[in-house]
Amino acid sequence: MSKSLLDVVDLHAGYGLTRVLHGISFGLAEGSITTLLGANGAGKTTTLRALCAMIRPQGQVTFDGQRIDARATEDIVRLGIAHVPEGRGTFVHLSTEENLRLGAYVRKDRAAVEQDFERIYGYFPRLAERRHQQAGTLSGGEQQMLAVSRALMLRPRLLLLDEPSFGLAPLIVGELFEILRAINERERVSILLVEQNAAMALDLADHAYLIETGRVVLSGTSHDVKRNDAVRASYLGY
Amino acid sequence: MDTFVHQVLAGLATGGIYASLALALVMIHQATHLLNFAQGEMAMFSTYIAWALINAGVPYWAAFFLTIAFAFVLGLAIQHFVMRNIRSTSVLQLVIVFIGLLVIFNSVAGWLFTYTIKVFPSPFPKESLFGQKYLSSHELGAIAVTLVVLTLLWAFFRFTALGLAMRAAAQNPTSSRLVGIRVAWMLALGWGLAAAIGAVAGMMVAPIVYLDPNMMAGILLYAFAGALIGGIDSPGGAVLGGLLVGVLENVLGAYVVGNELKLAVALVLIIGVLLVKPSGLFGSVQVTRV
Repeated sequence: MSKSLLDVVDLHAGYGLTRVLHGISFGLAEGSITTLLGANGAGKTTTLRALCAMIRPQGQVTFDGQRIDARATEDIVRLGIAHVPEGRGTFVHLSTEENLRLGAYVRKDRAAVEQDFERIYGYFPRLAERRHQQAGTLSGGEQQMLAVSRALMLRPRLLLLDEPSFGLAPLIVGELFEILRAINERERVSILLVEQNAAMALDLADHAYLIETGRVVLSGTSHDVKRNDAVRASYLGY
Repeated sequence: MDTFVHQVLAGLATGGIYASLALALVMIHQATHLLNFAQGEMAMFSTYIAWALINAGVPYWAAFFLTIAFAFVLGLAIQHFVMRNIRSTSVLQLVIVFIGLLVIFNSVAGWLFTYTIKVFPSPFPKESLFGQKYLSSHELGAIAVTLVVLTLLWAFFRFTALGLAMRAAAQNPTSSRLVGIRVAWMLALGWGLAAAIGAVAGMMVAPIVYLDPNMMAGILLYAFAGALIGGIDSPGGAVLGGLLVGVLENVLGAYVVGNELKLAVALVLIIGVLLVKPSGLFGSVQVTRV
């Protein structure tokens, strides 16, 4: 197994008095795609939020050998962690191109940023057609592509994806997942994927963790998790 | 006819000042969704700093830019030390904070500089420029200064990475943090810029209305009217609205209601806009899903 990029140990978090995570632990190997599966309300989105300090967690989060659990969101981004949030987080009043430019906000290598626009438009030609359009007028699928693209403009080492398939037509989901695989393979971007669509997530990921009510109840390679009877009955439906 | 042209042009000159202040209001509104009632008093206070500098022998334009820098730091400090630490999300409580700031600046200015009305110099020559008879050179100069300020601001927000980040931070703070923008600093910068614009407006209007702690009260009202006419969420609209209010105020004051009721024009405009088209000419209608 290759070197560990992200290590989460005994993560607790919640909103106000409501505790959502009750000691989640998991790891992610450099270059891998790892997925967190679970039902609505299991704590998947909360885990991603806690990782990048959108809510303050307790526990240990280590990224590339550095503790990040006490850092601010803005500083975590600078380490190369890009988060595609639930609901896409589009800057609706700005143009597509401005949205992408914001994704590269912390980067100093200006010439490479300009080249990355073309790289992104290569993955998502629809965004090139819409580059001067106000982002709020893009369709749901286009906004999801924009959210992923905005995150890629950081040239991240780790991409956190929160339900990228949400609200998208199956055909578009398939297309998006193919692109995610390509990004992972060609650019060695590690991906932590949160999904309700367990079948698709398990096809894409190398490793999977199953979360129930704020705890990890099962983990293993996607291959093994896919064949687990409980997972098949509850999440895959066969 | 000549007097009419003069009234319109003079209206544009003061309208430019209202437009600047209206723009400052819109900038703060975009970040906080509130009207900063203290914007005018911050401008007045900065103008006193300019007055003190000039009286101490500093050349006008040096005092002008020093005052802009002072106002910028003042705005920055208000956001950083006051607004940022107020965790309340209650509109009423925040409005009271704004009114508190208004009263503080007003009384501190009165205490430091007294309530005696002071003459504030114009940097422009006494005799009118370019041989025309419609505008005094100060009015013409004020229009030019306003245009320069507005153009610089527009270019800053349109073409620079920092300007884009400030727009992003005002619109969507959560997503902004996720791309690494330090949102609190962007808001502070916004306050600084708004205060700096206000200071320019104050220094341009003071030679016309004279300097005293209450000089911005009426002007803030005109700026409110301008911002509301243009649409409180539209910077371009606020500028046009401010110019429109300046012209209407002057023309109606000269031909219809007389000088004494000029300020009532602003109030009528505010109420009219709120009744007929609350989102203003260029504003967007806000729909909130519940």
